[in-house]
Amino acid sequence: MRRVLVVALLAAALAFAAWRWFERARTPVAPGAAPADTASAGVKAVRLHFGSADGDTLVVETRELPDAPDVHRRVAALVAELDRGPLERGVAVLPPGTAAVHVYLDDAGLLTLDLSGAFVRGFRGGSRAEWLAVASLVRTLGDNVPEAKRILLVSSGVALPTLGGHVPLDRPLDPAEWP
Amino acid sequence: MSARRRALRAPAPRCRRAAWGAAALAAAALAAAAAFAQAPRGTPPADVPRGPSFERAPVERLDGEPYVGVNDLARLLGATKFWRPDVRKLVLRAGEHRVQLTVDNPYVIVDRRTVRLEHPVRSLRGQLHLPVALLDSLPRDSALARVLYDPRGGEVLRLPAGGVLGTPIVTSAGGVTRVAFPSEFVGEVVVAGRARARFRVRADGFFRGTLPDSFPPGSLVRAARTLVVPAGAAFEFEVAPEADGYRIAREPGRVVLEFAAGRDGLEEFAPEGPAGPRPLRVIALDPGHGGDDPGVSAEGAVEKDLTLALARALKGELERRLTARVVLTRESDRTVSVEERAETANRARADLVLSLHFDGYVRPAARGATAWCPPATYGERAPAGRPGVALPVEVLPWRDVATRHAVPARALAEAVRAALELDGLGPVRVRERLALPLLGVNAPGLVLECATLTSPADRARVTSPEGLRALAASLATAVAEYQRNE
Repeated sequence: MRRVLVVALLAAALAFAAWRWFERARTPVAPGAAPADTASAGVKAVRLHFGSADGDTLVVETRELPDAPDVHRRVAALVAELDRGPLERGVAVLPPGTAAVHVYLDDAGLLTLDLSGAFVRGFRGGSRAEWLAVASLVRTLGDNVPEAKRILLVSSGVALPTLGGHVPLDRPLDPAEWP
Repeated sequence: MSARRRALRAPAPRCRRAAWGAAALAAAALAAAAAFAQAPRGTPPADVPRGPSFERAPVERLDGEPYVGVNDLARLLGATKFWRPDVRKLVLRAGEHRVQLTVDNPYVIVDRRTVRLEHPVRSLRGQLHLPVALLDSLPRDSALARVLYDPRGGEVLRLPAGGVLGTPIVTSAGGVTRVAFPSEFVGEVVVAGRARARFRVRADGFFRGTLPDSFPPGSLVRAARTLVVPAGAAFEFEVAPEADGYRIAREPGRVVLEFAAGRDGLEEFAPEGPAGPRPLRVIALDPGHGGDDPGVSAEGAVEKDLTLALARALKGELERRLTARVVLTRESDRTVSVEERAETANRARADLVLSLHFDGYVRPAARGATAWCPPATYGERAPAGRPGVALPVEVLPWRDVATRHAVPARALAEAVRAALELDGLGPVRVRERLALPLLGVNAPGLVLECATLTSPADRARVTSPEGLRALAASLATAVAEYQRNE
């Protein structure tokens, strides 16, 4: 009786050891650290806001862009993508040819975005189009540039009181107030 | 011999039972070990928050194990991806944090720690997928977004920054109603609208709870609902007219909104004006655009011409129905600045200002009207609660003076919506935002986009004389309703 028990337990132990050996055999070796990240270009997902077809809301599109180390290039890339338009549903609401000329971020999180003259010259539409054009910019920057707490839009280096005569742009805009 | 055999055979059944028992033990050990190997690490949360504002990513089952695509995870974490094809490694970097993945390898380096997953990182359809069990091993600090696996929904969620607001507890006693939201941590709490009928509060964090359907007897809060906002949580309360003011208090473990009647030292609601018929002695109509600024143009219809024609028609209608004097900010096709328009209305001591516009959009699907009214962000501070203690003076920039009239302006917007919808001239949207034509206007006012010129149906309607007359009649009905204030 005792001998049989010992044999059975031995068999169980052998089975367990065999299973462990099998597991270890198929487990790969822990990798070493990768070379420096900067050796290859990094890409980052961004959220872009475009207008809806009926002009009532914004629609979000996610896209991957090369990551830029500084705020200026990041913002410029985002504005360029908005200008390029949606790849899925949605409508481009920025006036064609809009580009970021200069970007300045102060210590208090105020991002001043100087847009090209096309932003003003190319605008067509009423309050709905104007609201969506501004909201598209403000929400896109708010989502992807977390350092920017408020956004002031200017154009060609001078203050911009409005885009089309409906939305005041004389003050910085808070992304949280643009649903 | 035979006796020995018998002796040996006698215990045979017990030996067999023992052998079977040992075999079962071995099998159980193997099964337990296998089960341990298969079990996902980390306990899924019992109550996963839901809501439209959460970013999420789908989870895919690979050999029964939940995996998330690395592109989606990078998006949720706000991480930058660095792919090294030569060594088949992918690095996710977010702030100071770094997560290194190797294709077909269960070892993941998170910052300086090596984490062994039970299943390897896999490459599928040109994208790496990693077991969701890794989420438990990610650092939890403010530099990295918080992500959560929801096994019921089969997705990974990113939790918004800030704390969690739970189901509020409403109590009412002694003329004070308290709405207390349990909260582990709450950052900023902002009153976004001070109107009693639409008292709005926005808070960092997310709301994981339900708002009450009914309120205790004597409650100064009559109804509550959640609002959809870009980030965080927002609520709208309907507060009883008896309430004199409100206060927001952050107490340990909760945020409390307090509404009170007959108390000093509270923040006041937006001014509402007296009940009953509203005096309308002067009405200012502002035909939008003009001169160098044509506004929207579509198929020959020009906004500046239509707004002037509508203003003239509406002037006739209002003077016929009401005893009010009607002034126009421009009588001809000329350029008028925003300041000049506001000055005309203010000099006339207008009791009501209607800035008339027509909308336009890049797609013809957009149609209908929009009423823009100022937000109820302005509230007067109550008189000093303690004698001899002066309260700071709140200065309202003249630019924003229209916000003092937000409550009657909203009432006007609702009257316009009702009249236009009733006459089949909608759909009508009401939006609260201080529009440029109302800057410096010291009266209840609206910027009204009466129709959308880029919509063929709207354009055909408002460019016909009958259509414009019908629109003017409908707007005059709305103004009369607003005056009655029933």
